[in-house]
Amino acid sequence: MAEPVAPPSSSPAASQEISRRSFLKLGWGALLGFAASSAGATLRFIFPNVLYEPPQTFKAGRPEEYPMGVSTRWTKEQRVWIIRSEEGIYVLWARCTHLGCTPNWFQAENRFRCPCHGSNYTPAGDVIAGPAPKPLYRCAVRLLPSGEMLVDKSILEDRPGLREKPQFFVKFTGGSSNSAAPANA
Amino acid sequence: MTPDDLKKKIINSQIWRSIFRGGEWKDTPRDRAQHILGNVWLHLQPSRVRKNGLKWTYTFGLGGLSFFLFLILTVTGVLLMFYYRPSVDLAYRDMKDLQYAVSLGSFLRAMHRWSAHAMVLIVILHMIRVFLTGSYKTPREFNWVIGVVLLVLTLLLSFTGYLLPWDQLALWAVTVGTNMAAASPGLGAEGPFAILGRSNDVRFVLLGGTAVGANTLLRFYVLHCVFVPLVAGALMILHFWRVRKDNFSGPPIAPEQLPHDKVDTWPHLIVREYIAALGCMIFVSVWSLLQKAPLEEMANPTVTPNPSKAPWYFTGLQELLVYFDPWIAGVVLPTLIAVGLMAVPYIDPDKTKGVGRYGFKERPLALTYFLFGVGMWFTLIFIGSFLRGPNWDIYMPWESWLIHKPPPPRTWSLPLVWGLLAVGGYFILGMILPLLFKPEFEWKKALRNGFLAILGFASVVKLSTKIYWEQTLWLVVFTYIYYILGVLVPRRHLTNQPKVRYAVTMVLVLMMLGVLMKMGVRLGFHIKYILTLPQFQLNI
Repeated sequence: MAEPVAPPSSSPAASQEISRRSFLKLGWGALLGFAASSAGATLRFIFPNVLYEPPQTFKAGRPEEYPMGVSTRWTKEQRVWIIRSEEGIYVLWARCTHLGCTPNWFQAENRFRCPCHGSNYTPAGDVIAGPAPKPLYRCAVRLLPSGEMLVDKSILEDRPGLREKPQFFVKFTGGSSNSAAPANA
Repeated sequence: MTPDDLKKKIINSQIWRSIFRGGEWKDTPRDRAQHILGNVWLHLQPSRVRKNGLKWTYTFGLGGLSFFLFLILTVTGVLLMFYYRPSVDLAYRDMKDLQYAVSLGSFLRAMHRWSAHAMVLIVILHMIRVFLTGSYKTPREFNWVIGVVLLVLTLLLSFTGYLLPWDQLALWAVTVGTNMAAASPGLGAEGPFAILGRSNDVRFVLLGGTAVGANTLLRFYVLHCVFVPLVAGALMILHFWRVRKDNFSGPPIAPEQLPHDKVDTWPHLIVREYIAALGCMIFVSVWSLLQKAPLEEMANPTVTPNPSKAPWYFTGLQELLVYFDPWIAGVVLPTLIAVGLMAVPYIDPDKTKGVGRYGFKERPLALTYFLFGVGMWFTLIFIGSFLRGPNWDIYMPWESWLIHKPPPPRTWSLPLVWGLLAVGGYFILGMILPLLFKPEFEWKKALRNGFLAILGFASVVKLSTKIYWEQTLWLVVFTYIYYILGVLVPRRHLTNQPKVRYAVTMVLVLMMLGVLMKMGVRLGFHIKYILTLPQFQLNI
């Protein structure tokens, strides 16, 4: 049973007949290949191709509407803080870089503090206490011809040096209606 | 006709006999065995069990209770599904309907919630019991491994379950949980050595998007109601079948003695199971009548409750996350705990000692570390549940959360060279230190001398640097714990083992103690990372 059957001498193609062992190898190989490609296909299946998520851009009004310091005007609606410093305006995404909760702004302490694991940030977004590994992300922001600012939460930057680039910063030194405590940006 | 006659008549009737098989019931040992073997449900159990397994104080019925709670959860869960729709617009409204408009809806929801909490607790206690009586030892090693997987699945069932109400707890728990997954090395967008991005990493798969939303709710619904229960159910069958095949554990006994150590399952074990299930049912029902299941405000993806607390069985993890980078606390440590637990039967040097008995003296090494680990975990749960308030600040249980606490002091990290030295030194010295001590030491003397040495060391540090008195105290306490558990205990009980076993066990011990030491330096000295390589997002 085990040894391959001797090929009938009359057939010229007989020498090409595959042995039982290599046939089984082929079978196992095919089965493995099928299992692997099924796993791959299933993995691909669970990645959705179309997302129905809210738009990531919004108009945040004119720069002069913002007093000096941290504004929580858009926190509940758009989950960002608009921060005005002496030179201009930048937008922080209100998502803790630790595990994604929304920190709260504490004016008296000049800090953002996260309610989930206690991370603390400066108004510039840098971590000063708690477990967060990285600074808060800044969102892209630009001035529209209408004079309003357009914030894009899909373009993010947290690296010092890059986050101060014009893409994430609106230069503005004009006066405003009232000025609150200055931010240590 | 007396009730007894009636009972006999019913039992011997053609209908009864056709349902339960077997001939005329004569209550002989053979009949009782046949009753178990011939019944599809009961034959999961052996027909005869060891006396040891019947003692209340041996098993406390914890394994059976875990399964019974799983049954309660299945029944109440299926009932709740009649009124629940897993869509973002409807889910929370359906919860409100269940609370206020559906007859007994509130009760069923409470029962489902509290049974889930109870199941997590009972499963953990069951694991502790099995460890304490050495019941994971040969031939039951693999059943212990299955048990650890079942514990993880129990936690996963709870976790996937609490997105479904679509309240604030749901949304933020799942946000935090899936962001932990995103901190996985390689597989997550925010972990060390990240190669994948926000829209193709492991978090994206779990969420079905980039943030918790409609896809996430549906995914967790399917996982909670279909996928995880099926996997858990299959493993439970395997688990019970192994319990039956390997017998209940008990003190070692000569094989020829074994038949005399056994009694009939029917009625001895069945009656006990019935009583335990009844008690459990009464307890859960009364509790659910008295205490409604919590339901917070509707989920709001921009506002996080302050503080945002996980259910009790995850506050330990939540507290752990305060001291470590998310990839360590959220991925590496949970994996290590699970894998370390699974490895226990294989690294335990003694395969027979202390099986079937509660006793510290026979297995001092295993029990010391296991109980220390469990104690640490429950201490973390205690801190997270009772000592944390708004902004995750420390609040004593009697302090009002309205008091505003000063912000935490600035943290700092060790420079790279010092970090490498500290982590490398800890593990290398940690492996060597126990070997440097005399193998025969006197406990009392070693404890006293060690304490004096540490006190001297701390005074030198105190005098030569600017550290505060509290910090000196931290130094003494944590170094002393390390001295006992990282040096003395291994010296006494571990150094006689083969090298590989010594190394593996010691690494696990050092990692467990390392968690405590890292917590110590964070709390006492505000050190954020011992070792940090920001280029690779690798922080320890």
